[in-house]
Amino acid sequence: MTEATERFFESLPARAPAVLRGPLSGIIQFELSAGDRTDNWWVEMKPGWARATRDAGPADATWYSSVDLFDRLTVGAAQGVSAMLRNEGRFTGSVVLFLSFRRFFPDRPGTRDPRDVAREQAGRPG
Amino acid sequence: MREPVSILDGNTFLVSDRQGDIEPSDDFPAGLFSFDTRFLSAWLLTLDGERLHVLSIDDANSYRNRFFLVPGEPTHYLDAKASVIRSRSIGGGFTEELTVLNHTGREVEFTVRLDMAADFADLFEVKHVRSKQGRSVAAVGERELRFTYRREGFHRETVVSTNDEGAIDETGMTFRIRIGQHGEWTTRLRVAAVIYGARGEDIRATLPLGSHRSVAAIQAEQDDLLDRAPKLSCDSEPLARAYRRSLNDLAALRYESITLGVRLVAAGLPWFMTLFGRDSVFTSLQLLPFLPELVPPTIAILAGLQGSRLDDFRDEEPGKIPHELRYGETAGFEEQPHSPYYGAADSTPLFVILLDEYERWTGDATLVRQLEFQARAALDWLDSYGDLLGTGYIWYQTRNPETGLQNQCWKDSWDSISYRDGRLPGFPRASCETQGYAYDAKLRGARLARTFWNDPAYADRLEREAAALKERFNRDFWLPDREHYALALDPEGHPVDSLSSNIGHLLWSGIVDESRAGRVAEDLLGPRLFSGWGVRTLADDQSRYNPIGYHVGTVWPFDNSIIAWGLWRYGFREEAGRICAAMLAASQHFAGRLPEAFAGYERNLTNYPVQYPTACSPQAWSAGTPLLLLRVMLGLEPQGEHLIIDPAVPEGIGRVELLDIPGRWGHVDALGRSRTPQPPTPNPTP
Repeated sequence: MTEATERFFESLPARAPAVLRGPLSGIIQFELSAGDRTDNWWVEMKPGWARATRDAGPADATWYSSVDLFDRLTVGAAQGVSAMLRNEGRFTGSVVLFLSFRRFFPDRPGTRDPRDVAREQAGRPG
Repeated sequence: MREPVSILDGNTFLVSDRQGDIEPSDDFPAGLFSFDTRFLSAWLLTLDGERLHVLSIDDANSYRNRFFLVPGEPTHYLDAKASVIRSRSIGGGFTEELTVLNHTGREVEFTVRLDMAADFADLFEVKHVRSKQGRSVAAVGERELRFTYRREGFHRETVVSTNDEGAIDETGMTFRIRIGQHGEWTTRLRVAAVIYGARGEDIRATLPLGSHRSVAAIQAEQDDLLDRAPKLSCDSEPLARAYRRSLNDLAALRYESITLGVRLVAAGLPWFMTLFGRDSVFTSLQLLPFLPELVPPTIAILAGLQGSRLDDFRDEEPGKIPHELRYGETAGFEEQPHSPYYGAADSTPLFVILLDEYERWTGDATLVRQLEFQARAALDWLDSYGDLLGTGYIWYQTRNPETGLQNQCWKDSWDSISYRDGRLPGFPRASCETQGYAYDAKLRGARLARTFWNDPAYADRLEREAAALKERFNRDFWLPDREHYALALDPEGHPVDSLSSNIGHLLWSGIVDESRAGRVAEDLLGPRLFSGWGVRTLADDQSRYNPIGYHVGTVWPFDNSIIAWGLWRYGFREEAGRICAAMLAASQHFAGRLPEAFAGYERNLTNYPVQYPTACSPQAWSAGTPLLLLRVMLGLEPQGEHLIIDPAVPEGIGRVELLDIPGRWGHVDALGRSRTPQPPTPNPTP
């Protein structure tokens, strides 16, 4: 387990009120592997609320990938759907849960607000 | 140009030439495709080393067809010693039953050979050939030939199996057979397209509905869908045929998303067999009065994929509704941005419009309440990221110059937005119809906020913003000298002054000042825009006009259906009827199946609507067109718990009766009749 991934899971409760705004509830298990080792996280989500634990339990959906891919997701350098399409990440169970969870992943690193870019270019600072 | 023959089930489809063969072609993308990958790039039949020639094709069904073939060049004295029947059906891959008939009075030995290849090209590589990054292997097995493609974890297989003893090599199968006098021989070949998931099983095996459907299952689902649609009884044979064809095609274009596990409607064969935000919203709007149950999965998936972060490669922003989702290798390895791609300025307001229209028809308040957050996020996008320049309009400019779209409106080809003298404006651009959609979205959002979200203050604000937008728009987009709305604004805020079909969408949105609506209707039905078959995308006196230019002169049936709706909205029933009648007349020349687009030539020049060279067919929003035209002619409009029926059927159509229209009212019937009934027009001789 890397520090980035651990910090990411720990940040979820505080971020949930802004991110989980729909009426969705459920538990996603994250099975993250590095070599022979597999780390598991369970994230329970409710409207405006989330909790991440290491305690095994039932899940409505499971995400499988390497720790490395997950690290890249948590900093915005990778994107979940394309990772699934190239089979680097895999998901089973309720897809809407994953689509809701993906909102926790940040912007691509180095991305500027497109409005600032367009207004500068058009000579109309916002 | 050689005509392709295709069968499809959702986004698995097989395109061959008229012999049933698959080989590289410049005219059309030949092959077996599934989820944006080509699983077969060659499938070539010879009898004793000779290619075959087609006598006839039975293609009455979308999922099954049959080729009747003979060896050798056809001559007047066709006295074939043998003939071949290829019967094929689609479902997870396809099955071909091959029958050879010996017409002589003695036993004959034949060599039947099928050459096979699988290039696993991504759909984007079919248009622009590139060398594959992964590794392909062909392996001969017991009664099977297996093609495998791997690139890292990406794993696809094509497995061709046979129930007969044949000589199998890495490029095909050969059967040496003896057929008795006047006898026949049949073999069955099964082609499976397999998409492997991370644990080595076919991804689709785990889907709730399953993609490996039998022909019987496909047929049963189609029949069930057609059964539930309202019944049309009418004098007009072209209308009856177009209606039937449309329902069949919409049923055939339904597919199950491998990543998302829901039934969606693919946009168009062959290039667009996937989810498009814009296309799926317009198709849903067209089919709401007929098959409302097809709409919620589309709404749910667009909401589920709503943008949540800034991503320049995908043109993604929080609140934005996606433009296009692909399933192939180039999307997976991020060589193309479609995972999903968000390069559309209009899909976000259109999403709000659809959500509102869906509730008005069905009374399904639950979905509207569930999606409050997503709908608000979409409405927020209009005034935040959508308004790139902060001038109160929706602008677009791709942040992915390599593989993003330059034009992010429905006319998304590179040259679609031009001044009348042909110059292309800079970026960002604000196309006119997108502002209309934003206006409509705000008013509809206000209704949802007031009725379902218990937020009257937000509703008031949205209505004030809509009114201000309408005023601003009528000031900035109207060209007083030319008396029409500009196609767009350029980055300096100056009008891009072309006359285009986009002004018809403005009527649909209601953003047009009442005092100007008459001028708009006149232009739409005037000689510069109206070809006789429909409204051209660009007026014929504009510099870039080209009757066979994709978005600069062709006639798009979908575009015309929205324009007819807009004319109706402003009370121009006769004008709307002329468009309906023209479209239905055009549909006769395509056996009831309106293509994506046809040429903008003057009707009396060609007497025939010339198909756009690479038009998709079937195309979902073209298939939806006859449905919307029916709605326009019958004047169907939900009001509260009731359906208003206010028919204005154009001359020549006669009686139109639509029974069992579903909605919040249960089921009702609608009847309309032309004021001067005429006998139906006879079908043209082929």
